[in-house]
Amino acid sequence: MLEENFLMGEQLLDPADYDFPALKKAFNMDREEVIQEIKDSGLKGRGGAGFPTGLKWELGYKEKSDEKYMICNADEGEPGTFKDRYLMENRPLLVIEGIITAAYAVNAQKGFIYIRGEYFDSIKIIDKLIDNMYKENVLGQDILGSDFSFDLRLVKGAGAYVCGDETSLLNSIEGKRGASRIKPPYPIQKGLFEQPTVVNNVETLSSAARIIAEGASLYSAMGSKNSRGTKLVCLSGDINEPGVYEVEFGAQTIKEIIEQDGKGIKGGSDLRFVVPGGVSTAVLDKSEIDIPYTYEDLEKAGSSLGSGAIIAVGQEHDLVDLMLNVSRFFMDETCGTCFPCREGNRQINRILRKYKATFSIQEKEIIQDVGETIRLAARCGLGQSSLNFINSIMEKYEDELGIKEVLEV
Amino acid sequence: MAQNTAEDMGYNEEILLEKLHNIQESYSYIPENEIDNLAQKFDMPRAKLYGVIKFYSMFYTEPTGKYVIRVCDSLSCHINNSKKLLNDIREYLDIDDGETTEDKKFTLEVVECLGYCGEGPVMMVNDEVYTHLTPGMALKILKNCV
Repeated sequence: MLEENFLMGEQLLDPADYDFPALKKAFNMDREEVIQEIKDSGLKGRGGAGFPTGLKWELGYKEKSDEKYMICNADEGEPGTFKDRYLMENRPLLVIEGIITAAYAVNAQKGFIYIRGEYFDSIKIIDKLIDNMYKENVLGQDILGSDFSFDLRLVKGAGAYVCGDETSLLNSIEGKRGASRIKPPYPIQKGLFEQPTVVNNVETLSSAARIIAEGASLYSAMGSKNSRGTKLVCLSGDINEPGVYEVEFGAQTIKEIIEQDGKGIKGGSDLRFVVPGGVSTAVLDKSEIDIPYTYEDLEKAGSSLGSGAIIAVGQEHDLVDLMLNVSRFFMDETCGTCFPCREGNRQINRILRKYKATFSIQEKEIIQDVGETIRLAARCGLGQSSLNFINSIMEKYEDELGIKEVLEV
Repeated sequence: MAQNTAEDMGYNEEILLEKLHNIQESYSYIPENEIDNLAQKFDMPRAKLYGVIKFYSMFYTEPTGKYVIRVCDSLSCHINNSKKLLNDIREYLDIDDGETTEDKKFTLEVVECLGYCGEGPVMMVNDEVYTHLTPGMALKILKNCV
């Protein structure tokens, strides 16, 4: 457990009581220096993809355009994830300070924060805060006496998981269906209303604000070589003390996070597996969780850190029921643009629904085959990762699922 | 001179999603005449506008019940027995996912993750979230909806 939290902490709600240390520091630095500071910190995108934040800002900064956009992706929807809601409800000043800092670094004059429509409390808090920040001159013209002006607007989502994909999110703000776009062009080159656009996650931006305030070296001194700093993890499932915890990368194993932070598995039951990064990631059997919590160690184990959602699953649950649950999620939430994702997830759900006591090897192969087709054909992360959970369960629990060879298909 | 709001600064991009939310807040759904108005305002074919509205699960083109009940059944809540909760609510309201009671009081929706995974199972009654629910608690909350 962290001795001192970096990102979590007491409520930060009232701009009148807050000093905006990151902004004051940033406005006295060149844009290149701010970007270098974030690069030095080693911060990576915390929405799930893990793209180096400093590099993204640099690319955004280098785009030549009269109009650029800075967007905060607050469309948190990966099952098991609720850290961005924690930040918006408890530390919203950090979130917005991060947005303005990023906007300054890439020289964007306009921005949006896109919050999922179901987060009524976050919406209320951020909406009021934006108003207050205009009154306190922390948004609008010549922010805090600098020569930097920036406008921020809140857009509410309306119930579509796929809008967490940045290109879908852009379409959604533009008033279109929230379907993904073909890349390239990347949003950095041609994003919102065809202008260069930088999209960052809530936790990424909040971390960036803290990094600028405290200096990159403090942050990069924490964690491992490829996973610097800290991460908010969301513990849920069969766990005694679920919730949001801040962990230093590499300081604990997944097992230790579950035991030390989450206080172990509920009701004295036995852990079967862990979903280490939300339902878009491959599960890890309980024999595989004795690994440090870092991007690289999870990748080595064949999974991913994803959004930071750690779901612990005990022995008593029916594996097919869980597979069906995740399958339904992707079937419901696909935007339907790439047809292998739309039809493939439907077919897989159909196969799982008719599962009786046993699966045939052929059915397993069909699921794997369709899954691979979706992965190769899908143009956004939803499709690409939609089979990770199901495939990993089939791989790791072949015997329990009763997968066996049958002659007639 | 500092400006007070984004609108003062001429930040006037028309955001369709915002308009749709506003209309729905007034009527509890998006009626056809408003769709006609929006189609004109945004210079969009009506069919395309319908396509946008229907894409988002929180927008309705038919009136919903006075109370929209959203019950999460994503993985973390599912593990915490949201299925039982859901079945009891279904039975009590005598409607299925996506349906509205005859007296137009309740609309039931089984939804994906609401972001309260550590406090499941959860349901929302309009914009109010209820966590750590047992079926008994949930039915009591529904009985108190008048």
